[in-house]
Amino acid sequence: MEEQITQEELKKKLEETQKQRDEYLAGWQRARADFLNHKKEERERMQEFIKFAEEELLSELLPIVDNLELAFVQLKILNSNEGLGGKEDAVSKGFSQIAMQLKSFLKDHQVEELKAEGEKFNPEFHEAAGEVESPSTGSGQAGIESGTIVEVLSRGYTLHGKLIRPAKVKVAK
Amino acid sequence: MSKIVGIDLGTTLSEIAVMEGGEPKIIENREGARTTPSVVAMAKSGEILVGVQARRQQITNPQNTLFQVKRLMGRRFSDASVQQDRKMLPFEVREAQDGGVEVRMGDKWYKPAEISAMVLRKLKQDAEEKLGEKITEAIITVPAYFDDSQRKATKVAGEIAGLDVKRVLNEPTAAALAYGLNKKKDERIIVYDFGGGTFDISILEVSADTIEVKATGGDTHLGGEDFDQKVMDWIIEQFHKDQGIDLAKDPLALQRLKEAGERAKIELSTSLETEINLPFITSGTEGPKHLYYKMTRAQLENLVREYIDKSIALVKQTLQEAKFSPKDIDEVVLVGGQTRMPAMQEAVKELFGKEPNRSINPDEVVALGAAIQGGILQGEVKDVLLLDVTPLSLGIETLGGVNTVLIAKNTTIPTSKSQAFSTAADNQTSVDVHVVQGERPLAQDNKSLGRFILDGLPPAPRGVPQVEVTFDIDANGILNVTAKDKASQKTQSIRIEGSTGMSKEEVEQMRKAAEMHEEEDKKRKDAIEAKNTADTLIYTVEKTVRDAGDKIAEDLKKDITERLDILKKAKESDNVEEIKRVTEELSQIIQKAGAAMYKDQTPPK
Repeated sequence: MEEQITQEELKKKLEETQKQRDEYLAGWQRARADFLNHKKEERERMQEFIKFAEEELLSELLPIVDNLELAFVQLKILNSNEGLGGKEDAVSKGFSQIAMQLKSFLKDHQVEELKAEGEKFNPEFHEAAGEVESPSTGSGQAGIESGTIVEVLSRGYTLHGKLIRPAKVKVAK
Repeated sequence: MSKIVGIDLGTTLSEIAVMEGGEPKIIENREGARTTPSVVAMAKSGEILVGVQARRQQITNPQNTLFQVKRLMGRRFSDASVQQDRKMLPFEVREAQDGGVEVRMGDKWYKPAEISAMVLRKLKQDAEEKLGEKITEAIITVPAYFDDSQRKATKVAGEIAGLDVKRVLNEPTAAALAYGLNKKKDERIIVYDFGGGTFDISILEVSADTIEVKATGGDTHLGGEDFDQKVMDWIIEQFHKDQGIDLAKDPLALQRLKEAGERAKIELSTSLETEINLPFITSGTEGPKHLYYKMTRAQLENLVREYIDKSIALVKQTLQEAKFSPKDIDEVVLVGGQTRMPAMQEAVKELFGKEPNRSINPDEVVALGAAIQGGILQGEVKDVLLLDVTPLSLGIETLGGVNTVLIAKNTTIPTSKSQAFSTAADNQTSVDVHVVQGERPLAQDNKSLGRFILDGLPPAPRGVPQVEVTFDIDANGILNVTAKDKASQKTQSIRIEGSTGMSKEEVEQMRKAAEMHEEEDKKRKDAIEAKNTADTLIYTVEKTVRDAGDKIAEDLKKDITERLDILKKAKESDNVEEIKRVTEELSQIIQKAGAAMYKDQTPPK
């Protein structure tokens, strides 16, 4: 003889099942909504992404620009030593122009140099690489205020106004 | 209802993550970075800085820039480790009234928990900005070896930051959660966490409703930074040998070296060779000096071999203390950026004889796991909703033995995909559906899951019948393949179980096989496709010539017939270039014939 299931038990089972059904439906709707929202956010993310897609590439160019600038400092010293009176020789001038080309390229891609020398140190844009004693003040001459940037070791840059590399600087004590 | 976030409060770096759409996701901070340095400072202006900004001014303000505070949380001042760490920390550390630790920043003394709270507060605020909603509850992770006092301090730090800490979770447990290993009942997991400054080993056991920590080990002062130092030392030594200059004495050069060394180490995880190129590194007596060296992966591995060996020795020690052998371990999980190094992965794999879990970003896996825990507590993560993926591609065998993929590997299931196929020969009344699993382009090189025949197709020229093949996988990984002829509505299907139940080893093996044979497989597939194209063209051309009768000029017909013979012969050979060439020629000629036929049409009356 089969066991009869009581009305009580049936009612309970029905309630449970209805509860579960509601839960599943709600979950399904929520998942669908999450998905649609995700698609919308994806579209927005794409825009942001396109804007900053070049960020990594351009950031990797910066150390090369740094090295070029180091080279130019040396070239200047070399030229002044050789008694050319600070005038650039033709080959150096050629290199200078190439460097200018690179700088224009960066500017065209919305990469801007950060102004740092003489500015007050600000950790939002600058990274301290060392401290220097403020040059002693001469008679009546105002010394350099503490916290001012006295030397820029490598430039800082922004892309579309967003910082992509802080300037590495030396700060007056 | 606000979400519970997961926070990895690390010794050097911290991360925050949250569940979104059933998956954990790292939240970027205000500066757009996915990690936040665990550094707090009081600037000379009196302003309190947290994160990367605090780190940027560290050199000018060493006494008021606090870092690695995690090492002091919840400890007694008299602890040996506190006394040891004090020596290397440039800020002041003293004993608190209750025997705990206090640190000085500016004019005030703080408990380490208050400093960590500042990091947590920044993570919280930045996340609220990004998510556009308030965050009040969090899961914060701690090392498995943290005692009650250290865990309490972590909870207090959260509370000070305005967070209700729902749970203080063990870091290795969080990592295991991120890999879904909490589902593997009665299994033993070892978590190998090699971070920037610390190395932690944890052995876990998964039981019915918890993950228990059975043993811990490691070295709190061994990390990726030690690897960077080895590279730096090597460069300095080389340069000294070659140029007679000791770069260690040049602080500016050292900085460039440090960055270059770290970059080289990272590149060698994906390349076999890298270069360290630093022009104008310093000035000598004869002018500027340049540094240029190539480093191979093998050279790097030699330099750091002793550290890797040490880490393995420590793992063996921890296993011994817990009375386990490597064979007793079912799963290995890698955590921490340094574990990206192939040599390290190899060493771990060799010890345990199995592939470690490393597919999730090792810098983020702990925060992601903490977010999952938050999701579980909120009921967002139901077991039933933790979905699987197909580890390998699923397809059917088509003309020439090609593997035509219907469901690509790593597709989330349940899912369903359909594609229409046709017949290869005239009057073909049945199709053979052979289901295969794997990445190789030819069906025979993959795993055969099953086959069946759909017959009773009405006779028709080749390429005309439409047979729709559907692959349907349910949440349990059961694959149903159905073939339906659109004309006769006849259907046949097969049910395959366990298509997702492959061990990690098998999957790795098949993936590697596909990679190794990529070149030759491509050639073979090319050859088959060229033959198929030739076949189709031969069929079309012969049909056209037959139907056209004398509408095609005799000499043209002769040309066509000649080419047909050449192509038929070429098809037998394996000269793919030849087949493609003659196919193209024949194609051109038949087009000419076709064009001529159109020109000759008598206009309708």
